[in-house]
Amino acid sequence: MNRGPLLFLGILAAVAFSWVGLVLTSVIQYGALTPYYDPAEGKLYPDKPPGQAGQGRLVYEDLGCAACHTQQVRRPGFGADEERGWGTRQSVARDYLYEPRVLLGSLRTGPDLRNIGARQTSAEWHYLHLYDPQLTSPTSIMPPFRFLFEYRKVVGQPSPLALKLPADYARRHGLDRPGYELVPTPRVEALVAYLLALNDPYTFPEARPYVAPAKKGGA
Amino acid sequence: MPAESSPNPRLDPAGASDEQIQEVHAILRREKPEPTEGYSPLPLLLLGLMSACILFSAIYLGRYSGGFDPLVYDEHVLPGMQGAAAPVVLDPATLGKRVFTTNCIVCHQTTGLGLPGIYPPLAGSEWAQGPEDRIIRIVLDGLSGPITVKGGQFNNAMPTFGAMLKDEQIADVLTYVRSEWGNKAPPVSPDKVKEIRAAVADRTGPWSPAELLKIP
Amino acid sequence: MAPVSSPTIARPPPAAASAVDASTRWPVLLFLLSSLGWLLVATVLALITSLKAHTPEFLAGAAWLTYGRVSAASLNALVYGWSTNAGLAVAFWLMARLSRAPLRFGGVLVIAGGFWNLGLTLGLIGILAGDSTAAPWLEMPAYATPLLFVAYAMVGVWAVVTFRYRRLAQVYVSQWYLLAALFCFPWIYSIAQVMVVFDPARGTVQSLVNWWYVNNLVTLWFMPLGLAAAYYFIPKVLGKPIHSYYLSALGFWSLLIFGSWTGPNHLIGGPVPAWVISAGVAASMMMLIPVVVTAVNLHLTMVGSFHALRLSPTLRFVVFGGVNFTLVCLVGTAMSMRSVSEITHFTHFTEAHALQGMYGFFAMVMFGAFYYLLPRLLLKEWPSAVLIRVHFWAAALGSTLYWVALSIGGWIQGQEMNVATVPFLEVVQHTMPWLFAGSVAWIILAIGHLAFVINVLWMLAAPRPAGATVPTLFPNPPAMQGGLGR
Repeated sequence: MNRGPLLFLGILAAVAFSWVGLVLTSVIQYGALTPYYDPAEGKLYPDKPPGQAGQGRLVYEDLGCAACHTQQVRRPGFGADEERGWGTRQSVARDYLYEPRVLLGSLRTGPDLRNIGARQTSAEWHYLHLYDPQLTSPTSIMPPFRFLFEYRKVVGQPSPLALKLPADYARRHGLDRPGYELVPTPRVEALVAYLLALNDPYTFPEARPYVAPAKKGGA
Repeated sequence: MPAESSPNPRLDPAGASDEQIQEVHAILRREKPEPTEGYSPLPLLLLGLMSACILFSAIYLGRYSGGFDPLVYDEHVLPGMQGAAAPVVLDPATLGKRVFTTNCIVCHQTTGLGLPGIYPPLAGSEWAQGPEDRIIRIVLDGLSGPITVKGGQFNNAMPTFGAMLKDEQIADVLTYVRSEWGNKAPPVSPDKVKEIRAAVADRTGPWSPAELLKIP
Repeated sequence: MAPVSSPTIARPPPAAASAVDASTRWPVLLFLLSSLGWLLVATVLALITSLKAHTPEFLAGAAWLTYGRVSAASLNALVYGWSTNAGLAVAFWLMARLSRAPLRFGGVLVIAGGFWNLGLTLGLIGILAGDSTAAPWLEMPAYATPLLFVAYAMVGVWAVVTFRYRRLAQVYVSQWYLLAALFCFPWIYSIAQVMVVFDPARGTVQSLVNWWYVNNLVTLWFMPLGLAAAYYFIPKVLGKPIHSYYLSALGFWSLLIFGSWTGPNHLIGGPVPAWVISAGVAASMMMLIPVVVTAVNLHLTMVGSFHALRLSPTLRFVVFGGVNFTLVCLVGTAMSMRSVSEITHFTHFTEAHALQGMYGFFAMVMFGAFYYLLPRLLLKEWPSAVLIRVHFWAAALGSTLYWVALSIGGWIQGQEMNVATVPFLEVVQHTMPWLFAGSVAWIILAIGHLAFVINVLWMLAAPRPAGATVPTLFPNPPAMQGGLGR
């Protein structure tokens, strides 16, 4: 192994081997996945997310939510994802077709969020939870995102999005000044729109769980 | 093979004084020689380990790759075999607790105590243990407006679960709520949920406590 | 290729070796001191991250320090700041020594170092400001990474030229590893930047490329750099040859071929086809070969000389790192099995594994290398053996405490998460004592880093001694000190 060119060729071959075998093959095989056309409903799945949700995804990325939350449901029988209500079926590649940045995540310090839009349909809950997770989930270790909200003077009509805090919490944190309200900033409005849109309701054929056929003859 | 002195005066040792050469040599003289490789043969045990690894990997890759099909996500699929999606059967008690843990604890908490001032409790609640016609409606279409539960005032909005949960699931979770944390109320049957769902099919928007109190 | 006769001892005349060392001074010192600066930055960021994990109200008012951002910043500072700068410093010095030729074009390397540190600073500020790309291990924004590209393009070209002008025909095992690392890194990093950041691949292919990159970074960049150092310093300090050339060659090629296929381990159970995951599992099984072969090779080299661990700081750090190399790879192979992954995936167990690899193995080997090469660069000895001792024990205890605590915590977390009747908040509560232990571990590590940096600065400031010097070893009876080349 004293010849430079041979050494280089060998190293190149090693890294090219995995790139071709794993990456290139995958790009060819399922990088070209198309939406699935459901004949019964006559439409294509997955749905494209609404515009504000797209902006909310950018807020999700910049705040690093993917550091604690995953967005991938494992198949029934592998872990307890389905039992916890995180999804009715496994997440498949087609689900992420329209996502410019696939936010699978790698840690579940917090619950999986792939179908949070189906589980938690209340925007108000999300605003309270993001402002201070202790309000809705005591003992949670999720950090508060108070900087996404604004405590400001009511001008004209109170905002319909103003947070309704419990009286003693508001008192303890000095948030009960008369004529003032705690409102979400546009960034967290977009983020909540994104969270409410996170839902994979359609079950593609490849996502249905596989049950091995019964063995013929005796056990 | 050893380096000739380069024309660069900074690197030319002749340009250094005797003392400097001495001290440089001191650090280097005490160094052991540069490392070399021995030529002991490969132990047979390692050869055995390698063969075992190769065998295992080859068998694993052959068996668990689902025919290298990009639409196969379950490694147990053998190409050419038929499989089917079978529903998972569970007993109502487990299912009820599971539905509750999934959907209700974010507000009502696992203890069923809710959050004072925000979310009403279910433990010992006269509403939860009251007429089932009321609570089925609440779960189906949501609740909005001032409500008194166990002497506490609440004025929040409960979202709807009618679209998300099936009749069996609603019946199971209500049965769970009515028998947990010391609650003692009769179970709710899926048929009753079906009946109420049909009766309120035209309802748009949440119920108010005042309306529900009118239902016996 | 192997000569039949016994190997001749290659002992260069002292003047030549000093010329070689002197030529490496500025590039190596620049990268070395930069790495120490980044080590301190990474330690602070990691400590903040760790404290926030169990005390969410800690520094919660600052948006730029929110958990998601500061954890990404600490990872990038540790990986690209400390680890890469340290690895490059050691790589340059080793390349020069093993080529038996003075380092040429050192100016190019100094410029490359400037670009690297500039790009990194910009990148870290970008992450904290909210421009993170949200791709694991690739969070630095797109405006910072081209600066890194300039830097490593320069380093890559330099490596080829230096190898071409080497003065020794025989290529020692450390050089194979160094060439592999310096050649592979530009490739994998460029592919990752293109396919994930600049022109993202569609759907979950993006995640696959991302994790292919991460495991390649570990197996084709950090592992070769660390093993190159281990293969140099262990025989060098002991004055013995490496046990077997054949084991070295086998370990080298099997690491390269199988290591780069292990990426899919991070996607077990995820939205990628089953065959991709199975390929990763098979590759992890095959990884047992390079791990066992390397461990056997280095162990049989050490056999009969374990007493030297009591004396030599270099040897102690490098061997500690080597043991962790074996352990972390074995754990990695275990984690790749689907049944184990069902429990450990998504838990703190994976964080423990990452730190055991990056710190327990790589950082410890780098520390050992620094303890050897700084005296040769500065022609001075380490001023304080006590600080070396504090550094070693703090680093060893801190890193071991961290990965053991988070492994246990992660295992419990995984098992409870797989039982749906355990409410999620309860699962979280049960991880708290282990996360707290992790913070304690980082405080211990910080103490070690401070001791090291103080020692380095003291050494830099101290005047060069006249006449012969004695190496700074761990305190031991004088009778033991003789015969060890440090």
